Amino acid sequence: MAFDRTLPGLLSSAIALQGGWWASFPVRGWILLALVLWIAATLYLNAHTGFSRNQRKSKRTEAENVCELVRRAAHLDLQQKPGPQMASLIHSIFGVEAVAIFDGDLDEIYQSGKWFAGLEDTIRSIFIFETVRDDPEMGLIRRVLRVRNLPIGAMLLRGETSELTANNVASLLSITFDRYHALASEMRMENAKKAEELRTTVLDSLAHAYKTPLTAIRAASSGLTEMGHLSPAQSSLVALISEQTELLNHLTTRLLRTARLERQSLHTEPVAIAPLIEDVVAGAREHLADLSVKIVLARDDLTIFGDRGLLDAMLTQFVDNAGKYARSGSTVTIQAAEQSAEVLLSVHNLGPAIPAEDRERIFDRYFRSTPQHHAPGTGIGLSVAKHAAQAHGGRVWVTSDERRGTTFFASLPALRQGGQA
Amino acid sequence: MSNKAIRVLLVDDEPAIRRALRTPLMELGFQVGEASRGEEALQLVRMETFDAVLLDMNMPGIGGMQTLIRLRIFAPRLPILMLTVQDEEHDKVQALDNGADDYITKPFSIRECLARVRSAVRRAQAPERPEDAPIRIGEIEILPTRRIVRKAGHPIRLTPKEYDILYCLMRHAGRAVTSGKLLTSVWGADYRQEVDYLRTFVRQLRKKIEKDPANPCYLLTDACVGYRFAEEVGFLGAADTHHPDDHYLPHS
Repeated sequence: MAFDRTLPGLLSSAIALQGGWWASFPVRGWILLALVLWIAATLYLNAHTGFSRNQRKSKRTEAENVCELVRRAAHLDLQQKPGPQMASLIHSIFGVEAVAIFDGDLDEIYQSGKWFAGLEDTIRSIFIFETVRDDPEMGLIRRVLRVRNLPIGAMLLRGETSELTANNVASLLSITFDRYHALASEMRMENAKKAEELRTTVLDSLAHAYKTPLTAIRAASSGLTEMGHLSPAQSSLVALISEQTELLNHLTTRLLRTARLERQSLHTEPVAIAPLIEDVVAGAREHLADLSVKIVLARDDLTIFGDRGLLDAMLTQFVDNAGKYARSGSTVTIQAAEQSAEVLLSVHNLGPAIPAEDRERIFDRYFRSTPQHHAPGTGIGLSVAKHAAQAHGGRVWVTSDERRGTTFFASLPALRQGGQA
Repeated sequence: MSNKAIRVLLVDDEPAIRRALRTPLMELGFQVGEASRGEEALQLVRMETFDAVLLDMNMPGIGGMQTLIRLRIFAPRLPILMLTVQDEEHDKVQALDNGADDYITKPFSIRECLARVRSAVRRAQAPERPEDAPIRIGEIEILPTRRIVRKAGHPIRLTPKEYDILYCLMRHAGRAVTSGKLLTSVWGADYRQEVDYLRTFVRQLRKKIEKDPANPCYLLTDACVGYRFAEEVGFLGAADTHHPDDHYLPHS
């Protein structure tokens, strides 16, 4: 790559080379960069021997001011917006009459020194129309701030300074704003992650705390039944307590599992489909009590490169769902097929159809289909299945009609030879 | 088996759970001792005689797992059933590997709890059975001296490894055998982690012994823990005297 030997040229080259890592650029690096710039500036000035001694002195002072600005910018507190700090620094270091900076991302203007009325419109128009023509009569210098060639703001200076210095200052402002926005975005992500961790920890603790009273209620109600001596009405009420305790337990378990799944990162390994299905069926026995289960495999050694826990949760949800809505005595068919580079898992049951308008939305969190075939649930499970498939680069969908029944599908990348999906 | 013969030690730090279990158990003729911590349970077992221990996994103090390990040192044959919650599969496996007889997942019904306790006590009280004694459960019969397996009287052809798996599970019928234990017992300690390997063999085995391999009634999966051979009927030998309903198949 050929480098432009001007200061803005060097800065732009540095931006182009380093992309977005400015946010984490260490302070020492900034000082080093300042040194490089200072040397480059000196070389540049020395190369222009046509200047008078005074002019050379003035240029040298400006270059030193640029270096000072670079040094001070490297120590800015980027927890705060950099605009006001930079406006004040430029004003004091270069001794210009006034400085105004527009941050296009935040749509905010920062100024230092005395400005005329209508400043806001003027600086916005620089940003919007990318006006970079200077006005020597008014002593105005206009610059558009750019990051990777995209305008992110504008700078307006009033006072005497060279074009070269103005370019350098504008480049430095662009870099500083880019650093600030990258850091702010990183902090937002970090905060969101912390909030998510807190949420899942609370859910986890709650779900665990529920198990104790649930165990006591279940043991007490089933104990009453075992001890006998209950009238039919009493037996009926005790059965209701047991049934609802089971439901609450199921919901709590789901909540616990969902919270854990969302907290964990993907732990991938080759997962053999056949045993996975068998484990899921074994775990879902209660929901399949009066149903037959048929497992159809394209190959016995069908394998997916994925997270066993997530895949188990996804398939469990499909099987639970089939068990919940299948007609009593019917067959639930679990199938694993191969389609080019994908493994297609499906769970089919005969039962009430899912209305066409609900078929996409049932995978959304908290959404529950029409209550005509009411079954207990939270509306969370299928969203977990969708989340699990997407985490593997796959997708889920459902087909459903009264005659042919309902089939939930998950398409996942197959394991190719060599162990990669 | 008479309930009166069974003395259960109930170890759980939650008074509500102890109360909910104690009342029906006593009503149904069990004798119940109680402890709210592992340390207390260790003392009680040293001082009194119990037929079974229901031991909560998560307790303050030394906790359920450590209590189990210490109990096993001086009470190697005492049936210990761990009370766990779902999604603690790792703890279940560890407890079984540390010598727990079984685990019950909270919340559970009294019926399930009683069945598990009775089954564990029955196994513990049965005289030591010779390793080569034939075993019959339902239609499946295994004759260790001749490495023969029969289903409804007809011989089944098994590979040596399939036979070893079946024998290990049938010898411990009614008990959950962890995948790690099965792998170690059949293939050796180096294969302890090869769970998919085991699953493949179990699938083959199911095809040979089950009527409907997708809905097994003999070789059951304890999800994320291991396998369990159903204890539909008892072992041949002295155990039968406790189970008049068991079907005795004469040694052929």
